Amino acid sequence: MTNTLSRRDFLKLGGAAGAALAVGQILPAPVAQAAKEAGHLNADGDGYISSMCEMCVWRCGLIAKIKDGRVVKLDGNPEHPHSRGNLCPRGQSGLMNTYDPDRVLTPLIRVGKRGEGLFRKASWDEALDLVASKMKEIKDKYGPEAMVFSSTHNLSQVQFENLLYAYGSPNYGTQRSLCFNAMITAFLLTYGVEEPARNYENAEYILMIGRNMMEAISTSETGELSRALDRGAKLVYLDPRYTKTASKATEWIPIRPGTDSAFLLAMINVITQNKLADCEFVEKYVQGCDELPTAMQRYTPAWAEQITGVPAATIERIAREYAAAKHNAMAHPGWRTSNFINSFQTERAIATLNALSGTVMSPGGCLSTEVAAEGAGLGAPPQPPYPRVSALRLDGAPWMYPLVPLKLGVFQHLRDSIVSGEPYQAHGWFISRQNPVASLPDRNKTLQAFEKMDFIVTVDIVMNDTAWFSDVILPEASYLERYDPLLPVGGKAFLRQPVIEPQGEAKSALWIYKQLGERLGLGDFFQYADEEDYLRQQLAPLGVTLEEVKAKGYAEMPEEEHSGSEFTFNTPSGKIEVYSETLKNAGFSPWPTWEEPPMPAEGEFYLLTGKVAQHTQFGTQNNQLLHKYSDEPRLWMNAKTAAARGLQDADWVLVTSPVGKAHVQLLATEAIRPDCVYMTPGYGHISKGLTTAFGVGASDSVLHVTYTDPISGGQALSQTFVTVQKA
Amino acid sequence: MTDTIQHKAYLFDATRCIDCRACMVACSVENNIPMDKTRIWVAGVGVTGEFPTLQRSTMVAHCMHCVHPDCMSACPVGAYSKAADGPVSYNPDLCIGCRYCMNACAFGVPHFDYDKGIVDGAFIDKCTFCPQRIYNGDEPACVATCPTDALEYGEREELLKKAHERIAAHPGKYIDHVYGEFEKGGTSYLVLSHVPFRDLGLPEMDEHPINETTEAIMEGTIPFAVAWAGVLTAVAGVSRVISKQKENASPEKPHTEAKE
Repeated sequence: MTNTLSRRDFLKLGGAAGAALAVGQILPAPVAQAAKEAGHLNADGDGYISSMCEMCVWRCGLIAKIKDGRVVKLDGNPEHPHSRGNLCPRGQSGLMNTYDPDRVLTPLIRVGKRGEGLFRKASWDEALDLVASKMKEIKDKYGPEAMVFSSTHNLSQVQFENLLYAYGSPNYGTQRSLCFNAMITAFLLTYGVEEPARNYENAEYILMIGRNMMEAISTSETGELSRALDRGAKLVYLDPRYTKTASKATEWIPIRPGTDSAFLLAMINVITQNKLADCEFVEKYVQGCDELPTAMQRYTPAWAEQITGVPAATIERIAREYAAAKHNAMAHPGWRTSNFINSFQTERAIATLNALSGTVMSPGGCLSTEVAAEGAGLGAPPQPPYPRVSALRLDGAPWMYPLVPLKLGVFQHLRDSIVSGEPYQAHGWFISRQNPVASLPDRNKTLQAFEKMDFIVTVDIVMNDTAWFSDVILPEASYLERYDPLLPVGGKAFLRQPVIEPQGEAKSALWIYKQLGERLGLGDFFQYADEEDYLRQQLAPLGVTLEEVKAKGYAEMPEEEHSGSEFTFNTPSGKIEVYSETLKNAGFSPWPTWEEPPMPAEGEFYLLTGKVAQHTQFGTQNNQLLHKYSDEPRLWMNAKTAAARGLQDADWVLVTSPVGKAHVQLLATEAIRPDCVYMTPGYGHISKGLTTAFGVGASDSVLHVTYTDPISGGQALSQTFVTVQKA
Repeated sequence: MTDTIQHKAYLFDATRCIDCRACMVACSVENNIPMDKTRIWVAGVGVTGEFPTLQRSTMVAHCMHCVHPDCMSACPVGAYSKAADGPVSYNPDLCIGCRYCMNACAFGVPHFDYDKGIVDGAFIDKCTFCPQRIYNGDEPACVATCPTDALEYGEREELLKKAHERIAAHPGKYIDHVYGEFEKGGTSYLVLSHVPFRDLGLPEMDEHPINETTEAIMEGTIPFAVAWAGVLTAVAGVSRVISKQKENASPEKPHTEAKE
């Protein structure tokens, strides 16, 4: 019989545009066919297929329950170290992203004005030809640097980067400078480690600086913290808000925003002045350990009390408790550390505290090899070298920001350069799985940058705010409908595989980038026939077949050699650089240091943002299940402050910042400092293509002023001050 | 037979719950609940106190799967049943929409679909204990996904043992009581808490099953009604005889009623 249509053939048919849908209906569905052959689905097409979540970047393992060709339930995969059988609310709701009635299921080409929301359906051929011709035109006319590429953390990002490097543009925007630049830059400079591991197994004393682990959930890590607390570990949590993490903490310290580093420097002062550190470890491994007490001398608890509002005695006690817990004390590095322009110093102080306690040496400490480079040990398709890039990067790295790691970049500065046209004008923007209109600070300025563009193309599964202003929208298959490159986690390479057929004409990112590459004459950079071929090339060094991996959900990776008890650090001195020559040579303080952040004027508030457990950034508000179970997004204000201003709970208020205004409903609560207000990020969508999210809440990015930390390039998201009036 | 069937239960630990609502989404998907309905909700008083001395009291609330279910007791058509191994289940085909169960449930669990009329299939809805999962070797959907093990599932006796061990292991952390162990004869949703149970929205109740009292009363209603009918008939008869005698004795009508 002729029912053995392979995935490869299906993709070719898919390329034949309009015919694809009709053909797909006659022939057996390839995903289901493959799943039946692998023994996942029974003859009726019902059963279970393992894959990986994409509702945030933690990437839990999942098991999808399939019935009649539809996903009916997702459960956590017990074999995956990130899920351990559990999924968070976002993971549980994932099938609603796939079945969102607002999915874009064919390529769309804009016919109205930008932002008018008028599009016409197009075939893949027409849409891809148009995108490729525009990209060629821009390259020929202005050079490849006039094309900006941006994408946010995803498994196909490696091929996105392949497209942009092959095209030859230096202009790459990621979410990183809006998120963790401060943390990563500080740990790279101090330890030579990008993302320090966290060890909860033996933790007795955990210090968290605004790491709202119980709401900004990373399923396994949230579980580990919870179990540590259950076991009796102490959690000291600094946050101006009484978050759900604060409610679980042993001690909640509602510190003044922007002053975390003063608190931490005073802790270092107490530990070093009183010689409470793990001396043996520090002597051996820490660069600058002899001078550290002198360098920290002025940061007394009494000094810190004036700045942070936390009593000196409390700081002293916490420092002593932290030191007493020795190797079992952990100062959590945090995640989204883009708070103030001094957040880099906060991270340096955290890195120093971990060095003083010797936590880095304990199992799972920040030297852990667990966080391997993505794709290490796996094969890759062959490709020619990338063209040489000579143009300056529009994001200012490294010519304005010498210490910002190039892979992190400064996205908000890239946007500003598009608006200013300096040092040169960008003309095109290729955006994949990212929503800069909603995520970058100062939305009006981002829309100005869009106006400067001759051409904007967006790859996404729904009409997000960025797609709404784009010229072409390419519909991506959802994470339950497509393959992505393998992800190594904890000695296994996990597979994201389609558990259902792509809906409409949606296609995987791997397919889209390859199609564009070929049309741009860059086919040599995309030497894979289709997604399965790409995965086979990745698996080649492991000697495992794709069929085995599909059946099991992962491939075993060869065990890495672990070093003995001696450590060398990937820093210039080979030691932990509490004192950094690199920082000194770049004109910055070589020691962790205090930098006074600006303060709100009389009548102004700190505008805080921070996650809720039911949403991921700007991409999930249209998920009906998450909409159903998340709290209405309101502006938190201290109840007494509100009362003093004649404001009542549920009043509509006008929030004004130096760059924007937002109408939002008030939540009068005791759970926030009187000098702060808080907004849940990701609301206030512009796109009418998001029928669930449209009209709900207000956008925090409308209000955020763009402030960049000169060392790490991180955006200071809590440094915007607002006034609040009754609307 | 029934002696060998083990009683399943849930254990909820309020100190572990982070109010992430994964359980609610999981339940909604597993049981295909309409977007405007839910079988699990957040109960409790929430954040209390004054800045910066605050406390959060919330719990995941769904059917308590009582050992002596009042909903079942109140249902006039036998739509409810209690399985020997735990689940209190509900048959929508038998429901007549009287909502007696809603009034009977001390925990406010059964919900009525007010958007629909009886003809459209209006029905009561509540947690089913996920029979499609537990009888296939899985945990209920809400339990299976909980990232912090705030919800656990197992044999009621074992969970009770675990709960008491947890209280003993952490002096001062928990209220020294497992809610549902004895309340109104016991429930199959057991609760551990660091705050008074009323702050989680749980009513204070004695150990006596409510339905034993109500059913005892209800069982007496028919004999009582028959007897009372007899008494009333007798009184009426006697009264008629007396009034006839009075009519004969005094033809003048009494003209004033006592009116102050």
